[in-house]
Amino acid sequence: MKIAFVVQRYGLEINGGAELHCRWVAEHMKKHAEVEVLTTRAADYISWKNHYTRDVEAINGIRVRRFPVSRTRNPERFGRLQDWLLRHEHREADELRWLDEEGPMAPGLIQFLKDSEKAYDYFFFFSYRYYHSYWGVKAVPRRSILVPTAERDPVVGLRIFQDLFRTPRAIIYNSVEERKMINDVSRNEHVPGDVVGVGTEVPGRYSGEAFRRKHSLPGPYILYLGRIDENKGCHKLFEYFVRFKRESGSEVKLVLAGSTVMQIPSHPDIVYLGFLGDEEKFDALDGAEILVMPSFYESLSMVTLEAWALGRPVLANALCDVLKGQCLRANGGLYYETYPEFRETLSLLLSSPELRRGLGDNGRRYFQANYAWDVIENKYLALLDRLEKEKGA
Amino acid sequence: MGQEKIEIDYDRVDVARIMDQIKERIAAEAGAEPRSSGSEAAPIPELDFTAGQGRMRRVLLKLMSPFRPLVKLLILPVDEEHRRTVLILDHTNRRLDRLIAEVERDRRVTIERLDRLREYVKLLHHLCHNLVIEMSKLKIEEEALKTKTRIMEKDFEFLGKREKALEKELLK
Repeated sequence: MKIAFVVQRYGLEINGGAELHCRWVAEHMKKHAEVEVLTTRAADYISWKNHYTRDVEAINGIRVRRFPVSRTRNPERFGRLQDWLLRHEHREADELRWLDEEGPMAPGLIQFLKDSEKAYDYFFFFSYRYYHSYWGVKAVPRRSILVPTAERDPVVGLRIFQDLFRTPRAIIYNSVEERKMINDVSRNEHVPGDVVGVGTEVPGRYSGEAFRRKHSLPGPYILYLGRIDENKGCHKLFEYFVRFKRESGSEVKLVLAGSTVMQIPSHPDIVYLGFLGDEEKFDALDGAEILVMPSFYESLSMVTLEAWALGRPVLANALCDVLKGQCLRANGGLYYETYPEFRETLSLLLSSPELRRGLGDNGRRYFQANYAWDVIENKYLALLDRLEKEKGA
Repeated sequence: MGQEKIEIDYDRVDVARIMDQIKERIAAEAGAEPRSSGSEAAPIPELDFTAGQGRMRRVLLKLMSPFRPLVKLLILPVDEEHRRTVLILDHTNRRLDRLIAEVERDRRVTIERLDRLREYVKLLHHLCHNLVIEMSKLKIEEEALKTKTRIMEKDFEFLGKREKALEKELLK
């Protein structure tokens, strides 16, 4: 069987959620099938500027075909158009214009899909909202499997995506909540699919102690990993944490790691470490009392799964239905909607090592049962098997 | 604080149960208002209208002694009235502090709820808009299908006639 993974960007240095998700799945699926990746030459998701020069290269044993982006994105124009689109009644043509503006516009990739449809058994399209998925699924509908990685974002309700969700041969969802949302907006229950998600690569060795020593963090700390951005709920996290410190007098620190696009408040107990590599990320998780996830929109949250893989409990924003659902299903974390809930849950977690251990153990078990790589691979294989049987019938 | 302890079975941690208890505790706290608002009000100093310098005070009091009944008559009610006014003001201040705290808390909660509602309304708006478009398209499609059916009926009728005519020709 020959399968292709179609994604907006691909490379070892690309850490974005859906792109990394795609790479990990592709690398694990190469044991079971002949795998290729079809992508663009872009490395930057803001401008989609052509960065990679080679048409074909091998990355971790997988052949990667790259197609040029014919038009870079103008973020201001795109932002204005999206704003207008979400606030006004509009036609389908306006949505298609928005899709072109969003990019990455790679007509060569779509043409390749049309020309080579028969050379592949299935195409996995990652991220529903980009040009490659919309036109790609339309180009090869009967061989396409969509991995939407959709968040509860207003654009999910655009008319063009309702068609998209009803078109592919199958859909692989990241969570129960994502499947429900997509079913609700597009009535696509007839499209076969499964909730799969993604595993994670836990390094063989990690040390919270070494991390604490390196960054002079002798006391307890809660950890936030990811982009420091208002869209990720960080402003609320800072507000709640500073208030919690003032009211409780707790010695806990908030450690932040990731790129930043907002001002971090100057507070002696808020420690910003910048971007951490994979190994150090796991050291940080190992040393943390709790991982905090303040995001309002998540499709899956790989970092939450990583915390559970290491047996660390999670404190999540309950306004994100995926995070709340994951915490309840895993019994691996508490959640908050308001400041009093944040204060109570954080106090409870910090004061009870037994609770942290219990939640962490539950999280680890949930991770092993649902997100270990053999489980993920088997779910992908079962879906392919089902599609093959349906094809033969 | 008199808070109820959260019961946790550490062998079988149940997040939903813990969260229910936390929510109950927060609701109970919110219901137990007013809280320690007295400590937020400014302290009122004790008033002593008879305080003064030692010797000078005694001389003045002696000089004034014949007029003491008159002075007492004039001053005492004023002192009492002043004391009561201060007490009322203090009480009012405490109530105002408490009300301001309550309004501020309600405002924050309302803003959070409004933000969420705004998001829901936005989604509903898109949903309605898209439903209208979908319905319009279906209506157009239905009309087109009806027209197609009428054309096919006519074609069918024509083919029937043609078939009969051909049969007649063949049977001649």
